Amino acid sequence: MRVEALLQFALAIAYVVLWVFMLAWSISGANYSISLTPWGYAVRFFSETHVIPPTVYAVWLFAIDAGLLPLVWRRSRYSLYLATLFSVLSLSMLMDTILFQQRYLQFHGYTIAPTPNGYIYVSLPAKPTLGIPTYILLALTILSIFNMITRARWLGTRVIEDPIVAVERVLKVLHIECSRIEGGVKVGGIKIIRRDDSLLLVNDHRIDEVDLGTAITEAVKVGLKQPVSVGVVDYGED
Amino acid sequence: MATNPFKITLLISILSIAIALTLIWGTAQTAPNLIRYSTLSNAPYIKVESINVTTNGVYIRLALINNGSLAFKPTGGWVEVVETGQVVNVTVINGTVIAKLPLTPQWMGPASVGVKGIVSGTLNGSRAYIAFFDVVPIHVINTIGIADVSYADCVLSVTLSVDTVVPVVIGPIINMSLFTVSTPGYYVFETIGIINTTIYASAGSHNVTLTIRVSPALGRYTYVYSCNYLSGFSKYTLWLPIGVTYMYPTGNVTSYTLLTKTFVVGGGS
Repeated sequence: MRVEALLQFALAIAYVVLWVFMLAWSISGANYSISLTPWGYAVRFFSETHVIPPTVYAVWLFAIDAGLLPLVWRRSRYSLYLATLFSVLSLSMLMDTILFQQRYLQFHGYTIAPTPNGYIYVSLPAKPTLGIPTYILLALTILSIFNMITRARWLGTRVIEDPIVAVERVLKVLHIECSRIEGGVKVGGIKIIRRDDSLLLVNDHRIDEVDLGTAITEAVKVGLKQPVSVGVVDYGED
Repeated sequence: MATNPFKITLLISILSIAIALTLIWGTAQTAPNLIRYSTLSNAPYIKVESINVTTNGVYIRLALINNGSLAFKPTGGWVEVVETGQVVNVTVINGTVIAKLPLTPQWMGPASVGVKGIVSGTLNGSRAYIAFFDVVPIHVINTIGIADVSYADCVLSVTLSVDTVVPVVIGPIINMSLFTVSTPGYYVFETIGIINTTIYASAGSHNVTLTIRVSPALGRYTYVYSCNYLSGFSKYTLWLPIGVTYMYPTGNVTSYTLLTKTFVVGGGS
């Protein structure tokens, strides 16, 4: 799992979660306001409040897809292309939702109501603002495009949560059979055990303190004695 | 994976774009049913409460009717009287909206006038304007009162303060009397019947003096008990029922009114 893809996922989640608490877009005024929430437009007119749900659900559904897809489908770089498409779709659905307001929730900054012997004109000035969640969605779109171009390799590092996990992942990629043991991993006749910040290579006769590279090499050496099958590299395939 | 990733991607792309387009199209189709139209209900309005024509000018009083939860606070505005063509800004005094116009001859004609205008202010914190038009009857305010009274040697002298928008003829006097304010009370004089004394006063605000010789000339139903104030009494009341003829351009109108004045003679009581 690559940091770039995780970052993309984090942005998507941040966007949706932040949107629950902050407004993605709003027109704010004293007695009239329209705010875009994840479940629709909340329209406040004096003491009345209505929620009108337009295409807003698609906005965050596509955004989640854009974040989640590179984590779920990691074999092909096409998943990054698709994620970009989702993020662009999410953005365009947001634009469409804002256009919905312009088209159907027309607001000219005033209201006129009849009275028994005339009329009342109430000036309701309001100003539109884009919220922080919208900027995060923009960032998500840009990042997904960048990830698509670089195959999610612009950081050049991998997420390594735990050296044992790293060893295990290498073995898994090479389809080498291994098993988890207490505090380490067992491949064939050797065990690699983590102790504090160092790794211990344990075979039948001796215990050596090794670095991660050596541990992986040794594990692979032992593992290669097993039948080898084709490995899988994240976003490696065309 | 046996399936070509390119094919999967293409398929999902087309599908999701189709979903997005369907959503956009569907929303546009259902939008007219989704949205609600809101207008202000029970909005406050302005009603012309009264028009009083006095010698000082014409006062138009505007009543603000807040019949809902929305409170309107007036701050200014203007009114126009259609018949006279006068346009004037309103003044707001403690929430009451008043327009004061100069008195012009046109005000003597009509019984009611059309008043239109706009009152500006704030509705729940938002700037608002209320436009109105009302046809309202005119109240012409004419006041005639007794300013001063003196009685000596059987001659009653009454100073009337006249404040009218049209010329008036004051008189005749019917059943007037002067009596002490005491228990029991004593008459100084009383008359039964009509005393045909009239006095003319031009329009505006000024004083005129009626001088009436109560004895001996006023006729058989005049009872004069004393030609001067009674000794031992200093507080008196004059009852002066009187006819007043207002000379409007449209015709004369005569009304009868009771003028009274309680006064103290000499300084004691």
